[in-house]
Amino acid sequence: MTAIPRNPVNDSSARAGEETLRLIATLPAPEGLEDRIKARLESTPRRVLFWPLDWPGGAVMHGSAVRAAAAAAIVFVVAGGGWGIYTRVQPAARSNVMAMPPRVNPAGGFSSAGAMRTPQTLNGPVVTHQVNEAPAPTKEMLSGAPAMEKSHRTKATQRKQAENRSAAR
Amino acid sequence: MFPGWMEIVDSAVPDASRTHSDERALVALVDQYATILYRVAFSVLRNPTDAEDAVQEAFLRVLRHRDTLGEIRDHRVWLIRIVWNVVLDRKRRAKSRPETEDIADLARVLPANGLSAEERVSAAQHHAQVLACVERLPAKEREVLMLSAFDELSSVEIAAVLGVTESSVRSRLFRARNLMAELLNRPRSVR
Repeated sequence: MTAIPRNPVNDSSARAGEETLRLIATLPAPEGLEDRIKARLESTPRRVLFWPLDWPGGAVMHGSAVRAAAAAAIVFVVAGGGWGIYTRVQPAARSNVMAMPPRVNPAGGFSSAGAMRTPQTLNGPVVTHQVNEAPAPTKEMLSGAPAMEKSHRTKATQRKQAENRSAAR
Repeated sequence: MFPGWMEIVDSAVPDASRTHSDERALVALVDQYATILYRVAFSVLRNPTDAEDAVQEAFLRVLRHRDTLGEIRDHRVWLIRIVWNVVLDRKRRAKSRPETEDIADLARVLPANGLSAEERVSAAQHHAQVLACVERLPAKEREVLMLSAFDELSSVEIAAVLGVTESSVRSRLFRARNLMAELLNRPRSVR
C-alpha cells in the first residue's frame, strides 16, 4: 500500500483534508455500470465484412486470394464499362468550316452603323416663263409608235412638204 | 447464388477464436475494474454521468487495442492510466461550468451517516472548503494527492499512472500535504 512520509506539524490538517478525498474515492459506483459498459461495447461495430471462404465445388480459397480476385474483378468491370461507353458513344464530327459572324466593315475601322449619307445639292432651276403647251398627240402616237420616230417622221414630212412647195414656186 | 454471399459471419473470421478470447478478456476487465475506474473518474470530474462516460470511453479505447491485451502486465494500472488521461482531457475541455457548483454538489453527496442536520451542514461546508483548497494546489501536487486517496494504489502504481518516478510521487505528495495544511489553516491568506 501507499507508504508516504508525513510532516508531523501539518499532519492533522492534511489528514482532515485527505479524509474528504478518501470519502470521494470510496463513493460507490452506480448500479448497472458494468452492464451498460458491456452493452455499449457490444453495440460498437467491430465486425469485418468479408466473403465466404467455402465456394461451391469444394475449392477453399484463402482470404488474401479472394480479396485480390475481387479487386481485379472490380477493376475489370469498371474499366470494361468505361471502354464500352467510349466505343459506343462517339462524339459528333466537327465541321471543317467554322461559322463566323459577318464582319460589318471588312476593311476595318469604324462602321457607319447604318447611317445613309445624303450629299448637299444645289437648288434646282427655277422656271421663269410658262412653257408652251405640248403638241396634240398624233394618230401614230395614239397607235403606240415610239414618240421619237413620230417626231422624226413629222419633221421629215414637213421638210418634204417644204421642198415640194419651194420646187412648185 | 452462393449461400452466405457477402454476409457477415462471425465464425468465418480467420482468427475468430483469438477474437473471442480477447472479447472474453475485455468483459472480464469490465467486471473487475469498472468500479475503481468509475471512482477515479468521479474524483476528478465530480459528476456521475461524466464519470460513467469517461469509463465507457476508456473501455472503448481498450476495445480498439484489444489485440495487445496479452502484452499488458498490470491491467489495473494500465486501465487507470487510460481513464486518467480520458478524464484529464475531458476536464480540460469542459471549463464552462464553475468549480464552485461542483464542489457544492459533491459536498452534499458525500456520506454523513449518524450526523444531525446541523452536523451535516457543517460537514458539507468542511468538505467544500477542503475541495476548494485542493483546486488551488498546483496540478502536479493535486494529481498525486487525489490518486493517493485511493487505498488500492501504492506510490509505485501512482508513479506508473502518472508516468513519473516513485521519488517524484513522494516529493510531490509531501509538498501537496504541506500546501493543503497551510491552505486549510489560513485559507484566505494563501493564494
